[in-house]
Amino acid sequence: MKKSLVIAIACMLLSGALLRSNPEPDRLFIKNATIVPVVGSKIEGGNVLIEDGKIKAVGKEVQPPAGVQVIDASGMFVYPGFIDSYSHFGLVEIAAIASTSDFREMGKENPELRVVWAVNPHSVHFGTGRVTGTTTALIAPSGGTFAGISALLKMDGWTVPEMTFKETATSFINFPMTPRPVGEGVAVQAEAKEDVTSKLVDRIRDYLREARRYQELKKVAADDPAVKAPEYNAKYEALGPVLDGTLPVIVSVEKAKDIELAIKFVQDEKLKAVFRGCAQGFKVADKIKQSGIPVIIDSLYTGPSEPEDGYDAPYRNVVALAKAGVLISFSSGDSPAQGKDLPYHAAKAVAFGLPYDEALKALTINPARIFGVDDRLGSIEVGKDADLIIASGDPLDMKTEVTQLVINGRRIDMSNWWETLYQKFKSRPEK
Amino acid sequence: MKFKIAVIGILGAFLSLCQSLWVSAAEKPLLLKNGHIITVSGGTIDGGDILIQGTKIAQVGQGLPAPAGAETIDLAGRWVMPGIIDSHSHIALEGDVNEMGDIITAEVDCKDVINPRDINIFYALTGGVTSIHTMHGSANPIGGRGIALKMRWGKSAADLIFEGAPLTSKWALGENPKNSNDIGMGPARYPKTRMGVEQSIRDQFERAKDYIKKWADYEKKAKAAKESKGKIAPPLPPKKDYRLEGVADILNGKLWVRCHAYQSEEMLSILRLCREYGVKLVCFEHGLEGYRITNELVKYGVAVSTFADFWAYKWEAYNTIPHAAALCANRGVLVALNSDDAERMRHLFNDAAKTVRFGGVSEEEAIRMLTINPAKILGVDSRVGTIEAGKDADLAVFNRHPLDPFTVCEMTMVDGTVYFDRARYLADMKKAEEEEKAKKTPEKKSGGED
Repeated sequence: MKKSLVIAIACMLLSGALLRSNPEPDRLFIKNATIVPVVGSKIEGGNVLIEDGKIKAVGKEVQPPAGVQVIDASGMFVYPGFIDSYSHFGLVEIAAIASTSDFREMGKENPELRVVWAVNPHSVHFGTGRVTGTTTALIAPSGGTFAGISALLKMDGWTVPEMTFKETATSFINFPMTPRPVGEGVAVQAEAKEDVTSKLVDRIRDYLREARRYQELKKVAADDPAVKAPEYNAKYEALGPVLDGTLPVIVSVEKAKDIELAIKFVQDEKLKAVFRGCAQGFKVADKIKQSGIPVIIDSLYTGPSEPEDGYDAPYRNVVALAKAGVLISFSSGDSPAQGKDLPYHAAKAVAFGLPYDEALKALTINPARIFGVDDRLGSIEVGKDADLIIASGDPLDMKTEVTQLVINGRRIDMSNWWETLYQKFKSRPEK
Repeated sequence: MKFKIAVIGILGAFLSLCQSLWVSAAEKPLLLKNGHIITVSGGTIDGGDILIQGTKIAQVGQGLPAPAGAETIDLAGRWVMPGIIDSHSHIALEGDVNEMGDIITAEVDCKDVINPRDINIFYALTGGVTSIHTMHGSANPIGGRGIALKMRWGKSAADLIFEGAPLTSKWALGENPKNSNDIGMGPARYPKTRMGVEQSIRDQFERAKDYIKKWADYEKKAKAAKESKGKIAPPLPPKKDYRLEGVADILNGKLWVRCHAYQSEEMLSILRLCREYGVKLVCFEHGLEGYRITNELVKYGVAVSTFADFWAYKWEAYNTIPHAAALCANRGVLVALNSDDAERMRHLFNDAAKTVRFGGVSEEEAIRMLTINPAKILGVDSRVGTIEAGKDADLAVFNRHPLDPFTVCEMTMVDGTVYFDRARYLADMKKAEEEEKAKKTPEKKSGGED
């Protein structure tokens, strides 16, 4: 009895010692940094206390509790983690090799497909994509008219469930694109011809009508045993929350004329829409603003949609949308290999006139609002998830190094595929 | 990896707007005053001036007096760097750049298909690019000849050619000539392995050696016949073979070899082959794994023309790092940052900034990767790549340091002529917009009934 008590106490002491030596405690203290909280004003020489994955306190006066692990961030800058509003992280490893690609299903209508079934949490692109500060990404399917259901994932975790922040984030509709008239003088001709785009939009409307009928029939059948319920249809089931406006739907649309059609479509169908792309949004910025539809900006490493728009149209576009008051956010776009460029797209927009603070918002609090998660992400505020960037300078600057990321209050291992190769071949002796 | 921005039709008003030449030193001297001059060869001169006479830089320094009748442009503290040289490009060419019809296509020439109306020439200027090396594609172990162009937007095809620049031969190793990707480039054919790619180059060298010998023999016999004054019958010439002549030009050192390659071992392998046949290989294109064989690249004096951070689009592009350019440069390899893409070309200066972060080159070295290094690779470093008296007046003016994340290229000059001026572009865009608006607004009726 006495012996077992001694063993029990020894075990308790040992486990206590083990707990204390745990490199990732539940509490973390970031000391003496320039904090850019995005919501609220900049704090010089500020501290952040993190507890159980959340931001517990922020400010100059915040003191470190006894025994807390401290990150001395003197001379460093702390920002909220960036949110990539559209990416294929974990869904494609090498674009040219089909066996590594899982973001595009066959067929046009796949509203029921979920990216969380396909994401590879150990894709190298998570590690390399976050080196510039991305802590959360919308992982999107693509292709067809209804591409499927995206998820919001934190950029760290052993498994997909561990990474998953919001399993059902958005649905997708790829809006038809009006083709550019080909050849000289054809523009006039094309205008006179039938409106192909509107016909294609009508097909989407027809599909939604069927889905709506299915939902109504189901409801009627549930109330009235005499009515036979419709045969289970996964696609119409998946569109249920889209049709009742509870699940946001990302509508990809580029040309000015199509944007106008899409606004009408969204309003008629009473969808909770987010536009993606809007390359010619600057031509109809006020109309987008009026509609209240936010816009996810695609990669700015792109040329103008049409040469007449001017060489700088992609950048001017962002400036015009923001100026009109449209809620915008940035995304890295189709290639997760280029995911780390996310803040550089923002920098490009700033170069051409987007106010710096707006750019920062469009990487943080704006996407959080767009995806309805601003109660947890997008700024350094008490109670929010402790997703933080610690950087040597301005993270929009290509020359800045993000030295440490914190995700869910944990210091992330910053090593990645690139670092591994760099260290290995840097060590080859020079001859 | 060619990216095309489709340009359909001729955009009359817009193009003519972009084509007007605004200021030129051809008529009278031009003095650029009061800028930060990134000379590349002699540091950065703050509050510096550049005097341009004709097509050349006449003088660089501080407080230069304006010669009589000179036009002056106040840089007002803007940054000037030598025009960016994109050493791997496929713009300004008519149609496709891959001759898919055969394995070896040394006979075709980009010079024959220069398209001076490609709007990408204008886009190049908007990104500070003044010269490019535009090339055959990468479907063939030995492809066609490439050519250096100056971005003289609005001029004829012949006028775009960079006078005196050495002609190049495009080679390609690995996945593209193997035609092995899911996104295939053409029909199945030999070669399908890296072995086959190397052998198909070797085969051509042997054939070309024979061809050279045949012609040499013929010349010898023809000479003897001529000297014999009718005693010896003149020989029949060998059959002309343009393809083998192209390969012979490689063996004779007339063409500068630019070899598209990704994997380090195939680079070493082709280097051995080149040594065996006495072929001078100037530069590996892409060379994404070049950072693994810096010792060998330095030893054999082979340059690398690469991306800052474009990767993982195919297997052979997977084992690389954004630190590659810096690692190569820091170990003495001549490195150029290229675009290979009509869009990337517009922000090569941003790409250069990334090599400062990844791998830690100095800002000066990062700028060299856009200027004097590609100039050396193209054999035009006596003409361009630095801001020095005597060099071509090819300049790019930025509102901030070119490596600043928020910088914008505001003016680009080729041969002392301004081909892009952002202020003028903005004014013209505004004018065009107003004209468009005026067209749409119906005129008010005069003396109407209301």
